[in-house]
Amino acid sequence: MNTILFNSIWVIPLLTVLACVMIPATYAKTIRTIHVTSATIVLAIVCYLTYVVYALSGTPTNPAAAPLALRFFTDIPWLSMFKANYIVGADGLNMLLLALTAFIVWAGVLVSLNIKGNQKIFFALIQLLATSVYGVYMSFDLVLFFVFYEMEALCMYLMIACYGSGKRDYGGKKLTLTLAFGSSMILATLFGLFFESGATSWNLIEIAKTNLPMDFQMWAFPLMFMGFAVSSSLFPFHFWSPDGHSAAPTAVSMLAAGVMMKMGAYGCLRVAMFLMPEAAKIWLPYVVALLIFNVVLGPFIAIRHKDLKYITAYSSISHLGLIFLGLAALTPIGLRGASLQMISHGFLTGLFFATIGMIYERTHTRDITEMGGIMRKMPFLGVGFVLAGFAGLGLPGFSGFIAESTIFIGAFQQDSTLTRIVTILAILSITTTAVYILQTANRMLHGPLPQKYESLTDGCFREKLVIVVLVACLLFIGVCPGWISEILDQSIAPIFEKINNIP
Amino acid sequence: MFNIPNFILPDVLLLIFPFIVIGMRLFVTTRSQLPWRLANIGFIAIFILLNLIPFSGGAERIFISNWKVDDFGVLMREVLIVSALLGMWLSKDYFEHGADKKPQMHQIAEFIGAIAFATFGGFTVVSACDLLTFFLGLEIATIPMYALAAWNKRDQYGSEAATKYILMGSVATAFELFGFSYLYGFSGSLHFSEIQAAVASGSSPLLWIAVLFLFCGIGFKLTLFPFYTWAPDVYEGAPTPVTAVLSVTSKATAIAFLVVLVYGPLSPIQDKMAPLIALLAGVTLFVGNLGALKQSRLRRFMAYSSIAQAGYIMVALLGPATTAKTAIIYYLFVYAVSNYLAFFVFSIIGHHREETFQSLRGLSKQNPSLAIALAISMFSLAGIPPLAGFFGKFHLFFSGASTGHYTLVAFAVLNNVIALFYYLQLIKAAWVDEPDGHLTPLRLTKRQREVVILLSIAVIFLGFVPFLSNNIFAGFTN
Repeated sequence: MNTILFNSIWVIPLLTVLACVMIPATYAKTIRTIHVTSATIVLAIVCYLTYVVYALSGTPTNPAAAPLALRFFTDIPWLSMFKANYIVGADGLNMLLLALTAFIVWAGVLVSLNIKGNQKIFFALIQLLATSVYGVYMSFDLVLFFVFYEMEALCMYLMIACYGSGKRDYGGKKLTLTLAFGSSMILATLFGLFFESGATSWNLIEIAKTNLPMDFQMWAFPLMFMGFAVSSSLFPFHFWSPDGHSAAPTAVSMLAAGVMMKMGAYGCLRVAMFLMPEAAKIWLPYVVALLIFNVVLGPFIAIRHKDLKYITAYSSISHLGLIFLGLAALTPIGLRGASLQMISHGFLTGLFFATIGMIYERTHTRDITEMGGIMRKMPFLGVGFVLAGFAGLGLPGFSGFIAESTIFIGAFQQDSTLTRIVTILAILSITTTAVYILQTANRMLHGPLPQKYESLTDGCFREKLVIVVLVACLLFIGVCPGWISEILDQSIAPIFEKINNIP
Repeated sequence: MFNIPNFILPDVLLLIFPFIVIGMRLFVTTRSQLPWRLANIGFIAIFILLNLIPFSGGAERIFISNWKVDDFGVLMREVLIVSALLGMWLSKDYFEHGADKKPQMHQIAEFIGAIAFATFGGFTVVSACDLLTFFLGLEIATIPMYALAAWNKRDQYGSEAATKYILMGSVATAFELFGFSYLYGFSGSLHFSEIQAAVASGSSPLLWIAVLFLFCGIGFKLTLFPFYTWAPDVYEGAPTPVTAVLSVTSKATAIAFLVVLVYGPLSPIQDKMAPLIALLAGVTLFVGNLGALKQSRLRRFMAYSSIAQAGYIMVALLGPATTAKTAIIYYLFVYAVSNYLAFFVFSIIGHHREETFQSLRGLSKQNPSLAIALAISMFSLAGIPPLAGFFGKFHLFFSGASTGHYTLVAFAVLNNVIALFYYLQLIKAAWVDEPDGHLTPLRLTKRQREVVILLSIAVIFLGFVPFLSNNIFAGFTN
């Protein structure tokens, strides 16, 4: 029963799209109701399954998936022509990421209920994007994984170019093509992985058991790692994200920064590092050098920007850099911190982009120099923004603190001077983060209120609901992180073991 | 009389019914739908008969010593028939509209006849057991296309296109014949099995000259680098249905020709030909992709896009026989459906407007279903999952990578990013640009709408629905 529910996570959004194809676009209200209902149902299913995974932790998992601790394991033959199977399963890590996605999709649907343009197509694309993200986190077959991973390109361009603002065509193309470049690197190495490992299927678990030749790993690992890192905006492939996010409509920014950018980091951990641990051990120290840009320079760039979405985009770049710091540390605590940061940053950036979108809908500008005194007119949205900012700069009590401190501890344990230096720089960069967050909040929320904003209103019920739920998630992870670490550890242990067992 | 075996029935039927369709023209009025209906029944009947032929699993069925029907042949026939049927559907709009807005349905008979003969040429290529039949097949496939390309005989561009195509095509034929003659001189036989034995027993410069000329000759027809230059002009000058047939049937025949050669008589030197194939594939797909970047006319754009697709197909020729054949058949199916979908949309636009990117402006607002169909076909041609085009390309790359050509596969995959860029240009015109008030509004007939929906559904589900890919295309695996 739970397995069927688990598989329905990605099927329900697709069915929703099919159902809405039949309804004429003039019945916008019916279409919206269907999409909100479907997103809520998925959210409920995912929350329930996350609870199941937590409740069952410690009990034996499906032996077919060993060494990974997978539940709800499904293995069905799919495309026999190239030996691809339909393999999905859940361990702690991807279950939490699924929960994050369900929350962000739900919030994204709610905030875009009054989007302009053809709503039927917009919501269909959101659901397709949700399908693709759910699919990526669920699948353990590399072909299936890649199909879902690449599917996002189709939705992203159309959503940004048709429903975005500003330089929407430019931003959409930049984002789609850069991500496509990343996935083409992944696809090229996937073929190599399959044929060099001599595996009989694209099953990730089966390929992990084979011994890949070292010379193959040495060129394939950096290609694949960078391919995934493109979508997590690791320097030097970060350039798509500010333009892409600023052009995208609110819901797409939330999904892109909240869950899609985590797909890259997830792929780095689950596919690249898990399958090629020997090369990972050699190459990852060099990745740490790239992080200096993400973690240290990212916040400085954010200080100089005036556009709210650019500021948030650069803040995302720096936060995602921390995920890579955790991965590159190659210690269990570092990996746990990286996973925590993926989840924490998803909620945090979702909240950020949601409040920015709501404010933009009212002020029609995202330029912080033109705003001021908004706190007086929209106290609720203002507080939401400030709370997101506090979580972002790692205030204790919020999830950001737990995640970042775990990463720093994990990274400092790594016995390498470079990693330690970068860790110290990263810790110092929290100050820079505080500068741009407080400066933005100050300019935007306080000071004199411009005449033209006199008539603005505070958030309506559904907007308040979104903010409350996301803040609650941030606080919940921040206050009681124990249960999350508990279920994360089962899924990280096999990956770490594989890396640690190398002589 | 011969005792005609069952497996040859579709071929016989295809040979007979075009004559009936053409002959019927003498007895019908200019508005009569009869030839069209008969042709529909004929093609569908052939398609059903083809599907009834059981897979032999490697064993060849031979009819009077030089006509074989193997699994690859059956599947290739299905591709060609699907292409002919779709081409015919596409041509109906063209003839109903007529040159001067007068319906010319009686002319469709000759048109269908030409398509059917070209298809029969394709049948002959995949059935041939000796060089003579092989050559005849290629010629039967090409000569009707010359006539089709010259259909717009009063149009300046049409005549230019036809002249160019005939000249280039004749040169290509000469190259092929030259190659065949050296192949014959080298092996002393016209029969494939004897040539294969001779090739296996020893190599000589004579053989390599033959191979080189054969590749040059077929390079013209498959629009490989550096013989692709005729394609953009001909694709633009010929009527839309002809362009579509040219880009699918002709290309499928040409690739079938290569498959028969590479995995037939030349199979002993396949690994030695690999650098040549890889070079042609890599350069062709790169040149095609670069060429498409700056196009603003729809059919020129499709010409470059199909040049690039030819390059992608060549990648599969590096793999082992069964993998490569399955990959190519599967891809051709997918390519045919995606390409025809695009041409259907272009033809609807072409009836009311000029065929440029400009004419697509605001399509998503005025005619969302057409814009969705266009996006589906473009994303499929660009190879974005879960559309069929992705699985097709994946299969081609799978075949190429299975013999360790990772560099070429990586190059081809990276080229996909360039391809995505220009397909996005077209999607942008339809989805992002604001509507232009000067454009004539589009009207879809019920039939056009049905075909577009049918093809869109095919493009979406042909890829990942396993029962399709297992049963129809699994001829080589069982």
